[in-house]
Amino acid sequence: MKVFMLRWPTRNGLPPFGFVALLVIALLSLILTAPLVEIELERLGQSLGNFSEFIVNFMVWPNFDYLPTLGVKLLETLQMSLLATAIAIVISLPLGFLAARNATCHPVVYRITRDALSLMRSLPELVWALVFVSAVGLGPLPGIMALAFVTVGFMGKFFAEAIETIDPKAVEGVEAHGASWMQVRLFAMFPQAFPNLAGTMIYVLDHNVRAATILGIVGAGGIGYDMVMSMRLFQYDRLILIALSIYLIVTVLDRLSDYLRNRIIHGAKQ
Amino acid sequence: MSYSQIEVKLPAKPRNPFPVWVALALITLWWIIWDLDISFETLAYGVSDMAEYFSRYGQPDFSELSRYLELLGVTLATALWGTAIAFVIGFMIAPFAARNFTPHPSLYYISREFLNFTRALPDLLLALIFVAAIGLGPLAGALALGIHTAGFLGKFFAESLEQIDKGVCEGVAATGANFPQMVMYAGWPSILREALGYVLYIFDRNVRMAAVLGLVGAGGIGLALHDTLRLFNYDQAAALILIILLTILVIDYLSAWIRKKLT
Repeated sequence: MKVFMLRWPTRNGLPPFGFVALLVIALLSLILTAPLVEIELERLGQSLGNFSEFIVNFMVWPNFDYLPTLGVKLLETLQMSLLATAIAIVISLPLGFLAARNATCHPVVYRITRDALSLMRSLPELVWALVFVSAVGLGPLPGIMALAFVTVGFMGKFFAEAIETIDPKAVEGVEAHGASWMQVRLFAMFPQAFPNLAGTMIYVLDHNVRAATILGIVGAGGIGYDMVMSMRLFQYDRLILIALSIYLIVTVLDRLSDYLRNRIIHGAKQ
Repeated sequence: MSYSQIEVKLPAKPRNPFPVWVALALITLWWIIWDLDISFETLAYGVSDMAEYFSRYGQPDFSELSRYLELLGVTLATALWGTAIAFVIGFMIAPFAARNFTPHPSLYYISREFLNFTRALPDLLLALIFVAAIGLGPLAGALALGIHTAGFLGKFFAESLEQIDKGVCEGVAATGANFPQMVMYAGWPSILREALGYVLYIFDRNVRMAAVLGLVGAGGIGLALHDTLRLFNYDQAAALILIILLTILVIDYLSAWIRKKLT
């Protein structure tokens, strides 16, 4: 029990004031909000029982007849995220330049682009998917639009930051040749920022695949729809396959994107 | 002797695979568009319709503001509890998942794999499962958020722990500290600020997700948005979107401000 008798490395052995204040605030807000989240001891005990009863449902043999449909849906999910990422790259490249302090054409444009980008990424994909589904109907198209919309917000910001951190010497060198406004951006700024941009693109693709798996919940295409339906219809033999395949895809992509980003940013040796 | 007579040996021109990659990417995209049956015609026709459609969101209707604020409170509380659950789990698992603290290499791999697993399951899938298991309501949402983000927090904490200066660890180890003492004296105090920053970031993220968890019945403002859009109540939907947007922007700004102060 020695673990709990901590003596703090301060003069009087008591925790510093800031730390205690933070802890008290956190605990107080947790206790005050507990009723809102319906956390009651009674209910917790009951739900624990319910949960253990429920989890037994997953001890079923997966329904392998479902595999071909699952493959089609997974492919659709991947296609959606790829297309959305591509569209977002095309849109956010120019926006990234406008939102970078050293590449923008006017400070006012810089401010406006920055704010527009932060507005675009502030709402989650699912909210936009809801809006776009009610605008263009069910199917992968609203999903792609929602993904691309939010992703432009993220990628534009990352691009701008990548451009802001480049070495100004190369820019001066190219400017000294009498290069035009566009040429400076194309031949001095873009090549320097490119490794960073490529890393961002891979990160965003990874993010989009994760997001695309759940967009189907609102009918915006992908595996999410099957996920909700099999849950509602208690088809646990399908659900277990869906969950496993999502886990597999996300894990493989996570490792792959880590590896690729390391390679691009730190060079091939690492 | 003119220059043309000197045999100039230039190094071979480096191959530039860039056009090949671009071509491959374009072919893939074309195939995807064809395969998903996306017709840009409808999109082009839709542009004028789209303007008309979005004009329907023009007059936000705040007549049920008190109900919305209540839902917003539930959403924020869900995010808070989710973050708290994630913090507790991450706090306990991170030392095992840090290479320099873990008591045994096999524990390192097990805890890393566990964190990866919770991170890989989408929080909405977890929310679906919890809703089915323990009933509708924000509790299911808080649990789903907590378990999903525990993977993130645990990984962030473990990576910070791995970057602690070796001297600090050696100094504490030299006093004969055991594993918990190492973690409590060499580990957490060294990364306190970073860890707080991560917790804030995760809270920020959880607020966004909590706003949509209502779609699967896990409480909060998301369900209201879903219902209003289903009934084509664009005025109310606009009000809800504005409320969510404002909350997220405020929390985004606050957490960025606190994180800047921390570093």
